[in-house]
Parts: sequence; structure tokens; C-alpha cells
Amino acid sequence: MEKENATPNPRRDFLKKSSLITAVALTPTAAIKAADNQLDERIAQAIENVPCSIEINGTKHTMKIDPRITLLDLLRERLHLTGTKKGCDYGQCGACTVHVDGQRVNSCLTLAVMNDGKKVTTIEGLANGSELHPMQAAFIKHDGFQCGYCTPGQIMSAVACIREGHADNEGEIREFMSGNICRCGAYPNIVAAIQEVKKGGKNI
Amino acid sequence: MNTFFKADEPLQRVDGKMKVTGAAKYAAEYVLPDCRYAVLVTSSIAKGRIKSLDTKAASNAPGVIAVISYLNAIRPPGYAADNEHPTEPATGGQPHRVFYDNKVYFNGQPIAMVVADTFERATYAAHLVKAQYIVEEHLTDLNKNLDKGVLPASAKKNPKSPLADYDRGVVDGYKTAPVKLEMEYEHPAEMHNPMELQAIVAHWETDDKLTLYDKVQGTQPTQQNFAKEWKLPPENVKVIAPFVGGAFGNALHNWPHETAAIIAAKMIKKPVKLMLTREQMFFMVGYRPGTFQRIGIGANRDGKLVGISHFSIGQTSSYEEFTESVLQQTRMMYTAPNVSTRYRILPMDVSTPIWMRGPGEATGAFALESALDEIAYELNIDPLELRIINHTDQDPERNMPWSTKYLKECFKLGAEAIGWNKRPLKAGTLSDGPWKIGYGMAVGTFGANRRSAKVRAKLFANGSLLLQSAVTDIGPGTGTAMVGIATDAIGIPADQITFQLGNSEFPVAGNQGGSSTVNSVGSAVLAVCDVLKQKLLEMANQNMPEFKSATLEQVTFSNGGLQLKGGSAKTTIGDLMKKSGSADLDLIEEAKPGPEAAKYSKYSYSVHFVEVRVHSITGRIQVTKAVTCADAGKIINMKTAGNQMIGGVTGGIGMALTEDAVMDHRFGRYMTKDLADYHVPVHADVPHIEVRFVDKPDYIVDPMGTKGIGEIAIIGVAPAIANAIFNATGKRIRQLPITPDKLI
Amino acid sequence: MKQFQYIRSVSQKAAISAITQEPKAKFVAGGTNLLDLMKRHVMTPERLVDINKLPLRDIKEENKGLHIGALALNSTVAEHATIVKKFPLLAEALNAGASAQLRNMATVGGNLMQRTRCPYFYDTTTPCNKREPGTGCSALNGFNRMHAIFGATPHCIAVNPSDMNVALIALDASVQVSGPKGDRIIKMQDFHRLPGDQPEKDTILDKNELITAVTIPASTLTHNHYLKVRDRNSYAFALVSVAAGLNLDGKTIKVARLAMGGVAHKPWRLTAAEQSLQGKQVSIEAFQQAADIAMQGAKGYGHNDFKLKLAPNTIVEALKIASRI
Repeated sequence: MEKENATPNPRRDFLKKSSLITAVALTPTAAIKAADNQLDERIAQAIENVPCSIEINGTKHTMKIDPRITLLDLLRERLHLTGTKKGCDYGQCGACTVHVDGQRVNSCLTLAVMNDGKKVTTIEGLANGSELHPMQAAFIKHDGFQCGYCTPGQIMSAVACIREGHADNEGEIREFMSGNICRCGAYPNIVAAIQEVKKGGKNI
Repeated sequence: MNTFFKADEPLQRVDGKMKVTGAAKYAAEYVLPDCRYAVLVTSSIAKGRIKSLDTKAASNAPGVIAVISYLNAIRPPGYAADNEHPTEPATGGQPHRVFYDNKVYFNGQPIAMVVADTFERATYAAHLVKAQYIVEEHLTDLNKNLDKGVLPASAKKNPKSPLADYDRGVVDGYKTAPVKLEMEYEHPAEMHNPMELQAIVAHWETDDKLTLYDKVQGTQPTQQNFAKEWKLPPENVKVIAPFVGGAFGNALHNWPHETAAIIAAKMIKKPVKLMLTREQMFFMVGYRPGTFQRIGIGANRDGKLVGISHFSIGQTSSYEEFTESVLQQTRMMYTAPNVSTRYRILPMDVSTPIWMRGPGEATGAFALESALDEIAYELNIDPLELRIINHTDQDPERNMPWSTKYLKECFKLGAEAIGWNKRPLKAGTLSDGPWKIGYGMAVGTFGANRRSAKVRAKLFANGSLLLQSAVTDIGPGTGTAMVGIATDAIGIPADQITFQLGNSEFPVAGNQGGSSTVNSVGSAVLAVCDVLKQKLLEMANQNMPEFKSATLEQVTFSNGGLQLKGGSAKTTIGDLMKKSGSADLDLIEEAKPGPEAAKYSKYSYSVHFVEVRVHSITGRIQVTKAVTCADAGKIINMKTAGNQMIGGVTGGIGMALTEDAVMDHRFGRYMTKDLADYHVPVHADVPHIEVRFVDKPDYIVDPMGTKGIGEIAIIGVAPAIANAIFNATGKRIRQLPITPDKLI
Repeated sequence: MKQFQYIRSVSQKAAISAITQEPKAKFVAGGTNLLDLMKRHVMTPERLVDINKLPLRDIKEENKGLHIGALALNSTVAEHATIVKKFPLLAEALNAGASAQLRNMATVGGNLMQRTRCPYFYDTTTPCNKREPGTGCSALNGFNRMHAIFGATPHCIAVNPSDMNVALIALDASVQVSGPKGDRIIKMQDFHRLPGDQPEKDTILDKNELITAVTIPASTLTHNHYLKVRDRNSYAFALVSVAAGLNLDGKTIKVARLAMGGVAHKPWRLTAAEQSLQGKQVSIEAFQQAADIAMQGAKGYGHNDFKLKLAPNTIVEALKIASRI
């Protein structure tokens, strides 16, 4: 417990522990002092931030980041790839669905640093230049959305659903798309779009 | 009259490409230099006062710029003072004033806010703020306090208010009928839960100029609210919302987090972004109020209704009165000579509700349309037949003619499509192995509303047209509908027309709500196109000899040009403007409802038919088929309109079967407050849904003949499902949601 | 989220060492439950040891049984040809859980360690013995629709939320773990614990132990079904679920395996009910009798009273579907 009159400082406690195990040319006392006096934010961040390198839509990003940043927030807030949406932040809606090494995942429930060395595809990376991906075109054709907020997640999920081989019939599509909530309720149109792409037989 | 939109080739959404590529930008996605992140700290008690607020740890946490609470927040100059006469309760109350004082009015109320350089740091520091309270006893349980309901302030003041007590014929006349039933219906609070979390970026461009990127259903209503709150001229407040990730009513009100972000931006002199968490969405941005209803219904043996008495009580907050139109359908839908309605509200220690899709009407229809079904079984009359028996050709409430009413056509369309003749007359008799099968139907109605609106048109020398309106699009496809109306009116190809919306600087439009957008803004689009056509004709009269004496009636506007009817003379708009040496045309037109409209009762109608399967052992419920039919006037775009109907049925499946905001009244706090615990329908819950439109215009409502779709799409769905479940199982469930446990 | 040290481990030894050094350290693999809990400050580890780079992903047949590496993804296991063919209960249970995206992230080891979904456990403003020992159980007299009917104590009436665990216990699986004191094998039956007066402990795993694999012995079950009843048709936790496996010789039940989810603090094996079925002919009566036996000692807490009926119904239905009668 902190003493009554001591000013609580969570960063101080954190740095004290961290600097003991981090390869920073700084004694724990010096690190704490730096933080206490807010003398050098960079020194503190050198301890707090973690290096990582992720390929996103074909571009490699090498960064040192706060390990608390989720992949979703990295995309939206750091890289301004806002096509990936935050709908719940707890893996309960699917709006944040992206592909990591080809697999659909909820980007809100994975730390960015856990994706070091991986390849991420977001909705911005799905189309081939100005040519829409067949799933994007099918969503427009079948009106598979209204407000559009769940749409990038639905589309990323739908592409994976076909690639996984889970789009053989309406029932299977519905089951394997249930991780993507559409509150506007365009579900039947989304299912129709997926069926059309599946029937098109193209290698997506 | 105009012959409106070619329904067989509906336009694809004009913003579809932006939505499927991730290019569409929602409130939290605007990047402003130097923007900081704000995160709210909320109360953990439902009523009381904050005794102390420890912000030291939060202030010391890395990256924190400010910790703001009632202790240090600047106060918006427009905050209304406390009621000056505490003995007289405020009429209507006022929105919650965030960080105003140390009072706690509801659990989950914002009590502090941390502003930091990153989202992660702000979020963490927010958890370090600790409050101590002086706790007061709270009231949050509607069902235990039904006797404490009050008449809304507006009804007290005006006995003719639609919320006032209403009697037609004899009070409780249903009691004299040979066949009569009395029932109670309930549904819990339901949360809008749009997929986009409520979010705002607040930016003071100068000391007295505010720009908001905000999730709202009306840019100008929001502009007005915040201009008032900050005592600014409205033109100093700019609200940007071209994309809104669903709302379903919850952005028809401005909420505490918006003011909080504005306060923070003012205090730190930098733009501030604030996005609510999904949990916070359950506490401070409105909800469909939990409602208890009692119905007495009586009929003669031949099915003629003798009377209906309908009582409803819903929850509201202690500081702001919320009302909705629960009992309208009971007063106007059927011929019953004796109808009594009583509407009450109960102020409690909860946050203020707000209209949720098909608002009160969906609530009322659940009780009324379930009751109709119940008495149909009692009378041994097909419930569809019962509705036809009691069909009325004029409004029995106002004794006025309907503008249009094609309800019977909806009955016919729907009954055919669902195969109503397969429905067993006796409940619980049709099954497939362990699955019980049943069919149900119910009716919905909602006022065909229209407001005045203005649209700006810029016609360019290349023949392209730009239209602008302050209206928002929360999903129905407003831009698409407007482009459709314009292309049909002026003959410029749709891909040459741009409709810009979601900016308070554009011409006047109200909230997107109450199924009124197309009726209102569409009329203005039509009006501005009419003026453009007149101007183009004048140009042709003056500059093209062949058109010298042509009148509007003699000219066709199509393919981006003008052509003399029955002649070969034609010109493109671009050529005409060049020939005339005309600059770009730029004008604003207003359209408002005329006096003729007041002579009629104007409603949209829907009839929903569903087939359900209920597992007799596990209680699992599956809606296996749905047919939704609407008399919504002329349909501008079959594709987007059909999508809205499908969406309404999906929302109704949630209302009927899954959605339940459970409050633990010991804490006055919701316990199902994320999307894992509060179940909205998923793909697996929603079958193929067939949509049928009568598609006949109602020119009393507006010159396109539209009546409105968004609300009727959900009104009546929940009772249709409850009725189908009864048909399948013989179990009448009057408490929503109908979950498996209620059927085993 | 509270600040934490993030360490990527490349070897099992380094991972165990990294977790042993810090009393408030946690392993992270898929992260689907841990990050959720960290965001809500229900769990506040000071160090995360990322084990994703450890070579623990293999799925292989071993002595006709199965070895599943702890880092095998739920989706990989559910789709694995051998598992679909020989251990369909496991595949069905996995596919009944969460969503396709989450199954692509969640690992077998993480699923074993999944914590309860009790809303009071998740809400740091309410008392909860599991989250903060000694504060009391809010669910006991509160909103307990999802809660236990077996093995609960006044200290905690939460349930284990996993579907996979229900199948694993029915299949007599074991959990292989490795820790600073060496390796050990824990039977699935013993892995999760009842709340007793220490509901903060979900399992008997030591803090510094790492799950390395799950093994399943050869299965003789010829007829299987995993039946999950929930509040919507997908993507919801179980009200009640039943894993039913039978070895049938004609109509005679030679072996029966039954386990339930959504009813206790641990996956709930129905041993007595299994025994009652042994040697019997398949029939609704026999199934009903087994269900009655299974329900002995069940207790409702109000909102969850319906489970006293739903649970036996689901047992009967699962057996019915499994045996195809």
C-alpha cells in the first residue's frame, strides 16, 4: 500500500519493475527519476514500448509501440486504416474482422505486438486497385448492408467463409457468418451475396 | 401526376462503393491534428451524491492531460439552472447536465473524464479515478411500482394531447361483450445497439466556433442544441455526419458524452475524440423503455369488436420526461365502438429512454395484436379474418378519411406468400418430429409524417447536378432515394447526380426519424428539380428556335437533356447551358406540407406473417419463414426499401425472441450490457424474408406519393412471432423476450 | 488496460522461467478471453508471456488416441480430418462455441483456461468472490439465469462457459502440463474444480505451469451428438449443453458417455447416468431414467430454475439424436 501522503504513481511502479528486466542502459533509479520528473518521456517510452513489424496490405510497418494497443486500434488510430470498425471491442460483433496470415480474426482481441511478423489484410487491401473484389461487388449488387458499419467485417468474414469451405448452403453460411452482427438486419442479402460469389466459382 | 420510380430497375446505393471498400468515414474516423482521446468514468450507484473523487493517480498516469469532473469542468453557459421552485416538479425536465454537480441520477452516469495523448493511456487512467458516494435509495423496478405511474406533463396541460386519457363510447365497454378477455403484457428495456458506437470528435476552431464530427440523426437539430448549450449563434456550430453507423433512434437526442467531449476540447484547447464503450452504450444513450400493458378486449360471437381498453406504463428518468405513442394503433386500427386508452409513465432513477425503431407503436402493437389473436382463438375465427371483420374505412379516432389505406391488399399479398391456408386452426397440432410448427400474423401502422425541408441544387455547365441537404443517412439509403427522385424528375442520369448530406451547413432538414425523410426531403428534391426544369425551359425558349414556344407539358426531360414531345428537336442540358451562356445554376427550394393534408388521417401500414418451429423438448425457437407486406405508398427504390423491411423484421425477431436488458435492481445496474449477454439476432436467427409492397402512391402525403417505411417494418413483428409460437405450441407468452425456457 | 511487460517466449523453458519470475504474470496465446478481461480490468497481469511461438501446435494420432498441442487453434481442431471422423463430439462441441473468427484465434490450452461469463465477475463495480475473494457472490440472489445447478456453493454459482471442455471430459481426455517442478498429466475430470470456498481458482493448475497438450484415448463411441441449447441460434453461451456418446451393438448400449455444460463450475460428467445406460437397450425410457439419475442433487437459484427441466430434456434429446431413434 502507498503511504497516505505519497502521490500514487502507477507509472513509477511499472518502470521500477520493468527496468529491472529490460535491456535499457539505465538504472532503475534513473528510469524512475526520469518518469517522476517527466524529464524525458522518450526514456520512459523506451522501456514501455515494444518493437514489432507487421505487413499490412502489402506494406511492412516496423514500429515500437505500447503493447496494450490492439491490432484494431493500431489500424484505426495509428495507421488511419479506419475501414476496420470497432463495434464492441470484446470480440462479440465481428465488425473488426481482418485476415491475419489469411485467417479471419477479430482484430480487437489480439494485441498488435502479438502479430509481429504476420501479414494482415484489411478491407482497404481487398480490392485489386480500383477493381472491386467479387465479394464487394456482390454486396453492392445484393444490397448486403444499410448503414455500412458492419460491412467491412462482413465482407472480410464472407471471403474467409468461402475460402474455408463453409459456404455450401444457406444454413452453413448463416452458421459460419454468425460472428458478424448486422444490426440493420441485412442478413438475407448478405447470404445472397455470399452464395452468388460461391456459385461464381472464382478463386477468391 | 408524376409517374415515379421505375421499380423494376432500382438504383444501386450511390455510396455503396465507399461502404464496401472502407472509404466511408464515420464520426470517430476524422483525423484532426493534435487530437486527444477522452474516456468517461461512470458512476457505480444509481442515486446519491459523490462524496469524494480521487483523481490523483489518474492525473499522474502517463500521457494524461486532464482529469475533468464536476470539480473542475467548465460549465456550458447554456446549462439550465436547477428548478427554481423545488416544490413544483419540472414539466418535462431537462437533459442530463454532465459534470454539473455531484448528484448521481442513474447508474453508469458519467462522473469524470480522462483526456490523454493515446486511447490506451486515457482508458487506463480512467480506471484509476475512484469515487466515494453518499448513497440514496433508488427506484428502478417498473414492475414493482406500477401504481406510481403519472400522466405526462403534456397531457396534463392539454387534454387533447395524444398522450391524454382517451375514451370512445362507453368506458371499458369491452366488459359488456359476450366474449371478453383481459391480459397483461410486458417487455423489458431494449437497447438500440447500433453497430457504430456513439462517437464524437469535438473541435473548437476558435473560441466561439465549434465543429463536431458526431454520430447524430440530425445535423441541424444537433447544431441548435449545442448552440443553445454554449450560447453561440447556430452558424458558429458546424455538425458533420455524412455516414452514421446505424442509430435506430438513439441519435435523435444529444447525450452527456457529446457535451463532455466539447467541454474537454474547450479546456485543453485541442480537438478531442470520445467513443463510448459498448457497455457505456447501455447506460447513457437511450433505450426502448421497459413497458407494462394491460388490455381488456371484448367481441360479439360474429367477431365484431365491442371494445378495447388499453393501459400502458413505461419508464422514464427522474430528470427528463420521455413519452412515446404506445396506444395510437388501439385507437385507430379497428372499428370497436368503445375504446379507452390510458398512458402513464414512471420516473425512476435510470437514464432517459429514447425512441427506438417503431418506437411506442411497436410496444403497443405487441399487446394489441397479441390480444386480437387471443380473442380470435376464443371466437374460433381466423385471426386474419377477424382483422378484416373489424377493418375500418375511416379513422374512428379523428372521424376523418384516410389519405390512402391498402391494408386489405397487404393481407392478400402476405397470406398468399406465406401459405396462410396451411395454418392449423387449432394451436399445437402441426409438427415435424420434435418440432412444432405454427403460423402467425400481425398488423403495424405508423403515421405518414412529413416536415418542411429545403434542398440546394447546383446544375453545372457539364450537365451534372449536385444536391445538398443537411439530412443524415443512418442506413436506409437516403442519398440513393434522393438521386432516384431527382433522376426521375429531371432526367439527368443517376451517375451525373450527387446528393450530399450530413452537414449542418447544407439546407434545412430535420432529424432522420419517424419514417419521414423521403416524404420531407424528397419533396424538396422534387421542388428544386421543378424549378430547374422551368429555368432550363426558359433557356430553351430564348436560345433554341425549335423550343421557342414550348411549355413544360410539351417537353420531355430525359437522358440529361430536353426533347420536344412528338418532335425531333432535342438538346443536352450541357449544350443548352453553353448555348445560353448560362453560369452554373445554384438555387435552394423549400417544400412543406400543404393545407390539404390536414383533412386526412395519414398512415403507413404493414402486415407481417411468420412461420416458426419450436422444439418441443428443448424449447429452441426458429423463425423459418417471414413475409412482410407494406402499404407504404409509392416505393422509390425497391431494393433499399425492401432491405429496410427485412431489417425491421430482423429487429422484430430480436424484440420477440432475444433482446433483454436485465437490470439488477439491488444495484440499479444493467447486467446484460454487452453483445454477448444482450442478444441481438445473428445470421443464424434470420430466415429468408420475402417483402411485398402494395406500391400505390398517396399524393396527400407528398408529391411522390410515399408514406414511410422504417417504422412499420418492425411494428407488429413481435406479436406476429408470439402469435405463431402460440399456433405452434398452444403456449401464450405475454412477456418478451420469448426464450427457450418459457416453452419447455 | 493496465500497463504490463510483454515478453515473447521462443522456448518452453524460457516461457516457464518468465512466468515464474513475476507473481502477476500470465501466459497469453489466443488472448480472446484474457484481453477481454484485461480491457475490463477484471484481470490485471503485470507481465504477459506470449507463447505463440512455442512449437505446441501439432495434432497427431497416438496409440489410436489423439495428441493435440496446446496451441492448436479451435478451428484447426474442429476441422481436423481424424477428429471429425473419430472424435466427432469434440469437433461438434468446438463448432458450437463462439464464432468462426474467435475459433481461429482461441487455442485448446486457452479454451481450457477460459473463465466464467458470470456478469458479476465481469462487472468490477459489483461484489464477486471469484474476482475479489471475500466480497460475496452477487449472482446467488441476483441475475443467475446462466448459472450453476450442480456443485455450487454460497461462495460462487458461476459456470464454466466452454463447449470444448464438455466434449473433452466425456472423451476421458487428459491435460499435459509442464512447470518449474517438471511435467505432469492431469485427468480432465480433475483439471477444473468446483468453487468450494475458493472460487477464484478455476482449475488445479499451478500459476507457473504451462499446458502443453491435451490427449484423448482411443474412442469406441459409435454414436455421438453434442447438443447445445442457447438464447439465440448461434454465437451464444449455453443455457445447457450435452455431449452424448454411445457405443451401440445393435440396440444395446455397450458404453455410454455423458457430460453437461452450462450447469456447473466445471464441465459436468454424468457418471451415474452413464452407468445406468450400460447394457440397456436404447429407448426413450432408458434415456429418461438416465436423465433423472443425472439430475439428482441439482438445485436452482431462481432465474435458472428452468435448467432443472431443460437439462434432463436436453440429455434425453441428445441421446435420442446420437442413437438415431
